[in-house]
Amino acid sequence: MGFSWDYLFQGFVTALSFQNLFWALVGSLIGTLVGVLPGIGPASGIAILLPLTTVLPPTSAIIMMAAIYYGAMYGGSTTAIAVNIPGEASSVCTALDGYEMAKQGKAGPALSISAISSFIAGTLSLVGLTFFAPLLADFALVFGPPEYFALMFMGLSLIISLSGRALLKGIASMAIGLMVSLIGQDPLTGAARLTFGTAILTAGVDFISVIVGLFAISEVMINVEQRISTISRIDIGSWLPTWADIKQCLWTMVRCTGVGFFLGLLPGCAPSVTTFVAYDLEKRVSKHPERFGKGAIEGVAAAEGANNATSTAGFIPLFSFGLPTAPSMAVLLGGLMMYGLQPGPMLFATNPDFVWAVIASMYIGNVMLLVLNLPLVGMWARIVVIPFYILGPIIVFCSVVGTYSIRFQAFDVWVMLLFGVIGYFMRKFGWPVAPMVLATVLAQMLETSLGQALLMSQGSPLIFFTKPIAAVFMGLGLLSIGRGFWLQMRSQAPEVAMDEPD
Amino acid sequence: MKTLRSADIATGFLLAMLGLLTLWASSTITTTMEHRLSPRALPYAVGLLVLFCGIGIAVKAWRFRGPDPEIKWPDGVGIKIITVSLASIGFYNAFMNLLGLPLATFLYITFSIWYLNRAKWLTALLTGLICGIASYYLFIRLLGLSFPEGFFFKG
Repeated sequence: MGFSWDYLFQGFVTALSFQNLFWALVGSLIGTLVGVLPGIGPASGIAILLPLTTVLPPTSAIIMMAAIYYGAMYGGSTTAIAVNIPGEASSVCTALDGYEMAKQGKAGPALSISAISSFIAGTLSLVGLTFFAPLLADFALVFGPPEYFALMFMGLSLIISLSGRALLKGIASMAIGLMVSLIGQDPLTGAARLTFGTAILTAGVDFISVIVGLFAISEVMINVEQRISTISRIDIGSWLPTWADIKQCLWTMVRCTGVGFFLGLLPGCAPSVTTFVAYDLEKRVSKHPERFGKGAIEGVAAAEGANNATSTAGFIPLFSFGLPTAPSMAVLLGGLMMYGLQPGPMLFATNPDFVWAVIASMYIGNVMLLVLNLPLVGMWARIVVIPFYILGPIIVFCSVVGTYSIRFQAFDVWVMLLFGVIGYFMRKFGWPVAPMVLATVLAQMLETSLGQALLMSQGSPLIFFTKPIAAVFMGLGLLSIGRGFWLQMRSQAPEVAMDEPD
Repeated sequence: MKTLRSADIATGFLLAMLGLLTLWASSTITTTMEHRLSPRALPYAVGLLVLFCGIGIAVKAWRFRGPDPEIKWPDGVGIKIITVSLASIGFYNAFMNLLGLPLATFLYITFSIWYLNRAKWLTALLTGLICGIASYYLFIRLLGLSFPEGFFFKG
């Protein structure tokens, strides 16, 4: 599988045909809508619309499905910024700073920088996909269970930075998140755990219910309690970010593209993980880490850039090995197979027209998303000035619909409500919420890879330190934890400071 | 729990109790054969972590002797509004299967908007109607999601 300018040029010719442009546009629009609607993620969106694409030729159909995918990845940020509903786990970091910006009357710049960062990260990742796909695809294969566990361990160590000075509360918050994720069947043995003999808990607790409860419902409770009239009382002002904002975020976008892209090559390393890693990196390199969590525009740029870079990088293992890195990629794989296209090393050789047309269409799709969405920023930004007596119930309606649609069970909505109340008290008592979310997102992969790695090593945990890549991740994770505890011991501050710099 | 210190002591104690409960629940997990990673291992580890964190938070707060910030609790009206709002979400969820998504949505939105601003009853009615109809056409008809339709739309 090699790059050729001829193939790429031919791909652009195919992608720029009226028919393919039209379906890319339709896909981008539907994808954005799917992303905006909480709960209906890209995987469900593509799965629902897959049967509708059967009337199209294979290339147009896959172009449309790919457009739905990256449109949905983009659209998820809208509700996270405007009303604090991260419908996807990948939008949680966007909500941390985006919603704070919205409350300060900067919803427009937040939404715009999210679109610009998505565009830049998406395009840079596409360059990587175009020129380095064969080389990068091998990167995914050197990762086995020990490396995954070490990566997840390093991911969990991010709670040190996400907790600020409330380290003990951060760790407790993470532990509760892990506990919630452990409810249900053991992924390796099938044994029921922490179910207290109830059938409903055997299926486990979905993390979307937890996230929506912690963010959206607790936010509604706080606003209702304070009887606020609108989310933001400040005049919306400019919808676009200033040049200074863009300049401030430029290197952030490049850095988060790197993080999102390389981690996105790994199966299972979904945007929900990479956005946290990129966000944490930005907080660490920033000269003003205290602004993060309080409306830092770089926080939005980092999360959204990493999100899009990861989404694009996922196409490399998909095309090269037929390896889906996320549920939505698995649905896309099904779509490819439905059309008789077998992803793998031979796909580029046997169907170059198809592959390069899809890659070229993604460049065009990225431009389309930017052109389509920037003019809409003003409309989305105006959500924050809707009177809260109207907006509050609508937020709850969206949250209930999104949560219910995960498994079509009222149980998930009860879980959402419970975590709404927990989130309310966490805010009152100065507990960081992000560690709990991070733990619920990482738990399953952490556990599965730990079990598999211990099987490989016949029970010896030394495997995590004898494999070079795993050892590096474990070392970084342990360093991060050690540094956090050292800073905590030096500090005389009480466990009250949430989202403050270390 | 008027101050953060007292809240930390109370939540630390509750967390420790939760840790103990988790440890007890972990001990009841049945395992049929030997595994490299027993299904009890992680629940035990997490239970212990929760227990120690709870004790740590409570002890740290107990020993803390600095300025103690007050928690901003809502007044009586605020508590009433929160309680009614949460109860209405509960009713929305509880009656969704019986009434169907569109009707339950209409009732929830109309009631909630009216409750939060009683002068705006017409806005409440219209917004409820729009959301109810939109939920039916968007989620049930267009996207074909398996939400309960309820007797009104089925009939």
